[in-house]
Amino acid sequence: MRRYNLCVIGAGPAGLSAAIEAAKTGMSVGVFDENQKAGGQLFKQIHKFFGSREHKASIRGFNIGYELLTEAKALGVDVHLDSVVIGIYDPLRITVCEDGCITNYAADNIVVATGASENTVPFEGWDLPGVLGAGAAQTMMNLHGVQPGEKIIMLGSGNVGLVVGFQLLQAGCKVEAVVDALPHVGGYGVHASKLARTGVPFYLSHSIVRAEGEDHVTGVVIAQVDSHFNFLPGTEKHFDADTVCLAVGLNPMSQLTRMAGCEMVNKGGLVPKTDKYGATTIDGLFAAGDVAGIEEASSAMITGRIAALSAAKRSGFIDEKQFEDGYNENHSSILKLRKGMFAPENRGRMDITKTDEGYPLSVSLLENGFVSDTEIRTFPGVISEEGVHPVIECTQNIPCDPCQEACRVGCIKIGEGITSLPQVNADKKCVNCGRCVAVCPGQAIFLVDEETENGFGTVTMPYEFLPLPQKGDIGVGLDRAGKAVCTAEVTDVKSRKEFDHTNLLTVKVPSEMVMKVRFYKGKEAAKHE
Amino acid sequence: MRIKEHPIIDSYDKGALIEFTCDGKKLNGYEGEPVAAALEANGIKIHRYTRKRHSPRGIFCAIGRCTDCVMEVDGKPNVRTCVTPLKAGMTVKTQYGDGQREAEKE
Repeated sequence: MRRYNLCVIGAGPAGLSAAIEAAKTGMSVGVFDENQKAGGQLFKQIHKFFGSREHKASIRGFNIGYELLTEAKALGVDVHLDSVVIGIYDPLRITVCEDGCITNYAADNIVVATGASENTVPFEGWDLPGVLGAGAAQTMMNLHGVQPGEKIIMLGSGNVGLVVGFQLLQAGCKVEAVVDALPHVGGYGVHASKLARTGVPFYLSHSIVRAEGEDHVTGVVIAQVDSHFNFLPGTEKHFDADTVCLAVGLNPMSQLTRMAGCEMVNKGGLVPKTDKYGATTIDGLFAAGDVAGIEEASSAMITGRIAALSAAKRSGFIDEKQFEDGYNENHSSILKLRKGMFAPENRGRMDITKTDEGYPLSVSLLENGFVSDTEIRTFPGVISEEGVHPVIECTQNIPCDPCQEACRVGCIKIGEGITSLPQVNADKKCVNCGRCVAVCPGQAIFLVDEETENGFGTVTMPYEFLPLPQKGDIGVGLDRAGKAVCTAEVTDVKSRKEFDHTNLLTVKVPSEMVMKVRFYKGKEAAKHE
Repeated sequence: MRIKEHPIIDSYDKGALIEFTCDGKKLNGYEGEPVAAALEANGIKIHRYTRKRHSPRGIFCAIGRCTDCVMEVDGKPNVRTCVTPLKAGMTVKTQYGDGQREAEKE
């Protein structure tokens, strides 16, 4: 029987990170994954990640996937694909269905990193073709290049719903509405704003009454709900739609750990009980990533590394000191991500009204998906001065700081910790390089010049859609709510390799519109709305 | 519908364009992509009808977990089309109820 010092189950962000960390200590590592390709869900994440440089911030998920795979292969990790682990047996043995054969592997240690699957929610017609998981839609469009439908209703305003909603637009689909039964947008405000400014309406305190259609979805009826999630009669709205995406949370795929006899606890779904080192109640069996508790991919990579270090120490590949150093480094890294209003302990809280710094949160952002014109001026990233300067519409404490590093002249400062709101320092002169606009994973930074010529100014915005507008195009400027507010002329388009597909679009608009216009549509596209 | 141009993704990892059939109809798809992706690209949304109520089902999770998208593929019923790679000449059929192996049919 083949033996590995470490068997990793699941080749997603947590599993690959565990494999890499373990292989670096000299352990022999086998990674097993049921899919035909490694990377888990990373390869369908086409957005730039949040966090700090150490969390691979501003790098698109699929590029992180390539990096991890390349590193794992270079370190000699065996990646077994199309290999379903069907059981974990005592003492630390895994049974794998590989190439249609059953093979047993002995393991000195096991890291279970099997991830999570999507939750669902029943309503009339929820089983019709055309109702699918948001992650499923993401798989179809980003991995396989096929639109899941034409007109989409997104149910759920957490980060998955918001991110996939934006990606549906990028894939050329139309998002008719984002619907959530809760009264507040659940995900990052910056993600919601990206959708809102293109004209996608948000219906908070609403849910789906039914999906209509004989053979597949042809329409969707939503209605307002009260605080107990009961529909309010007379509030129904009908949409022509052929697709409903469900973004209503994830559930850990912890079956293997349960079958192995780990003590289980309920933590947003059944997960194996783990200590801070990722150890389950079975000696030598560790859990990392979403299977041990739902978080972001960035956190999954860190918990994977911690579990691998624990395994390496257990088998004597590193000593106590090396373990402590490695653990402390990773632990402080994950603590940075677990701060702010979206920290795990704040999940589901509706009573946060101020940022950590004491700025009142934008109510319009929580209720409509965009910050209102009056609210936006209260935040430290939004200043008014002569000449071009950044306007940072980042209004919630989220773990992210690439803008600070991107600015070479020191215009942008993030205070203590990476969840603080970015501030614009008016003493330093912006050089109009646009790097902050391109690196911001929330697409929340704009370069504004309030007056470039008589009565006109310019707004430079991030733009990730096709067709890419050309210099000289005359179109329409849209405000944060996605409403057409003025004519806009494209005066510059920057598409640099270092911007990684985030184009910088500069439009000329009347001076009184520079603090309103946040999106651009060509005349034709605007007419179709 | 296939995405012809994408603002972020430069190219999709696709095999050769090949032919397969669904309920006898000749269709095109790319070798190696999931059968379900090829069907969606051809506008086919219904994969099967349930046993008791004969209600239609299609793609739901797209990662091989939920088994809603199963069809009869090359004579085998209950094949998860979202994780089954398309091959040239494949015979795909809408599944009714539990499906039947080709050999079991009269």
